[in-house]
Amino acid sequence: MKNKLSACVIAAILMFVHTTALALDGDAILEELDRRMQPESYEMYRKLINVEPDGRSREFVLYTLKKGQDKMVALFLSPASEKGRATLRLGDNMWLYIPNVGRPIRITSLQSVVGGVFNNSDILRLDFSVEYDVRGATEQEDTYLLDLQAKTSAVAYDHLHMVVDKATLLPITIDCYAASGMLIKTLRYSAIKEFGDGMVRPSVLETDSPLYQGYKSVMLFAGLEKKELADEVFTLDYLSRIDELR
Amino acid sequence: MNCASKGDGRNGRKGRKGRWHAFLTLFLVAVVVPGSSWALEDFVFDVEAFARKPLNLGGFAEMKWEHMDVRRDSVFSRLFFNDDPPTVFDQLTASLQLNGSYTRGIARFSWLLYGSVRENTLGWSDRADVYESNLTLSPSPELTASLGKKSYQWGKGYAWNPAGFINRGKDPNNPEEAREGYITADLEAIRSFSGDLRTVSLTAVVLPVCADVNEDFGDRDNVNLAARLYLLYRDTDIDGIVFSGNSRSTRFGGTFSRNIRSNFAIHGEIAHVPRLNKPTVDQNGGLSRATISATSYLLGVRYLSSFDLTTILEYYHNGAGYSPAEMERFYHLIDNRGVQLSDTGATDLQRDLRQMAAADFTRPNAGQDYLYARLSQKEPLAILYSNAALIAIVNLGDGSYSLTPELTYSGITNWELQMRFSVLNGGALSEYGEKQNRNKLEFRLRYFF
Repeated sequence: MKNKLSACVIAAILMFVHTTALALDGDAILEELDRRMQPESYEMYRKLINVEPDGRSREFVLYTLKKGQDKMVALFLSPASEKGRATLRLGDNMWLYIPNVGRPIRITSLQSVVGGVFNNSDILRLDFSVEYDVRGATEQEDTYLLDLQAKTSAVAYDHLHMVVDKATLLPITIDCYAASGMLIKTLRYSAIKEFGDGMVRPSVLETDSPLYQGYKSVMLFAGLEKKELADEVFTLDYLSRIDELR
Repeated sequence: MNCASKGDGRNGRKGRKGRWHAFLTLFLVAVVVPGSSWALEDFVFDVEAFARKPLNLGGFAEMKWEHMDVRRDSVFSRLFFNDDPPTVFDQLTASLQLNGSYTRGIARFSWLLYGSVRENTLGWSDRADVYESNLTLSPSPELTASLGKKSYQWGKGYAWNPAGFINRGKDPNNPEEAREGYITADLEAIRSFSGDLRTVSLTAVVLPVCADVNEDFGDRDNVNLAARLYLLYRDTDIDGIVFSGNSRSTRFGGTFSRNIRSNFAIHGEIAHVPRLNKPTVDQNGGLSRATISATSYLLGVRYLSSFDLTTILEYYHNGAGYSPAEMERFYHLIDNRGVQLSDTGATDLQRDLRQMAAADFTRPNAGQDYLYARLSQKEPLAILYSNAALIAIVNLGDGSYSLTPELTYSGITNWELQMRFSVLNGGALSEYGEKQNRNKLEFRLRYFF
């Protein structure tokens, strides 16, 4: 009886340790993934391509700056109809600046300023560990499966299922869900390449969504470089001058 | 081969049919197949093509056709058409907007030019304006100074900005169009922090009014000052705005905006003018001026539904506006043939008063209480890059309104096509019931470059 009790206690302790270790691993994996995906402060060029079911496509080019965990700005360089528009994100706050309007207006993370499958939160994505808690982590043959829960209701997706490559600790696919459990979209990373300064990460992100049957959006990354930036760059009054930093 | 080409009609048809098949197959192979089975390798990103250049140019060219059914018996028809209004009013406008900048070191010279030619029922007209032209110096991200003609867009309201004391008046039907600026000198300082207070910025503007400089702003030979203090505090945008000068009376304002959820935002403005000189029409139909204390405010929400319907709602109280009774007295004044604006028997003072009154009473939304609603459905019927919207402006005082369905398509890169049909309605002697047109059909084609 005494032996059985001891065995139960040991089993309980082992289960607790195992669970804690997994939770800790999940957090560590996510933070390392964030570190590998983007430096603390950087500039980057991105091309967004919306592909329609009939094969036609439309392209947008953005210049992006990020600093710290929650400051990001994206300036449209092309096409001409969008040139000069800029979106700013400070934590959960997002604004859109339209040159003709001349002042920034608040926008919501679920809106899309470019149409297609990508929304504003995809374009102004912060570190995953800033927006999500690790709810669970599972080890598979070549991958980790992370179950992520949004920290607040202001985050665009309620929870994510993220498949992480074990060898590189980079994301492979991310399923994005609404609070109702509905799959909103799937993000797929590919084409890992070196961006300089030891930064090795995917250079292509594809997405499709059951809400946009037949449509696809692709994001190509280029010119990712570390850059020192003043905090004042990430303010509403600076949005009309972002181009000067290129 | 020769047989086919020289053969009987059946063979000829067969030959033509074969060629059509070959052409169709080639077309499918060349156009449809590569398009529908795309591969990632098809996409290239030459980042060097987007390297920054000192000279930056852009703009758009536009053609707009408008057709209006004129409400011939309305007060405004008689006012604008000198008592002989046409039945319909057609207008074709070609316009060009050019913007650009040249940057060297910390200095940037930027400009925004607008020109249009217009042919309508009344004849031909053209205009060319410099909307903006200014030199900006940015010695650091925290400090900016500019000198020249510049447009200010202070305030958070979508359709109206009661606290935008140095803004050029906004057309609630086209709030996103560029507007002409004023000649000013300004200084802007920004500081960022960590904690509840994230950003503080202060903008100070000097706006002179003298001969040929900002004459349409207010009384001449004055130097006016305006300042705006902006805070991002606990995820809320907050502005404090003040204007002081003799061209217009001193005024104070405040604005705020905040996201409540990821799909819901609120905003508001308040403006107070302690001493406002306001033209009025008295009980006897005489024109006079009164000094009043006016407080205006605006409250608005912006909501995005799960099916991509964006709703913007704004309530606007215009403290400097006219009550339905005051508007009625003005309409009676215009209606009274003895005091038409075109009459030449009046004294200079009376004529001036009438012109001032006409400018005040006929400006967009001169009443006291308004509701603005814009329901905008992104990509209706799953048509990518299209937008369908319904815009309503209601004068809550007299119940008159304008209702505008709008369709926009921008599926061809750098082209935008917009179609609108506005209905203006209301009872006799109401704001929209007395507008010169019953409706307006509008087609607009815009090419960006």
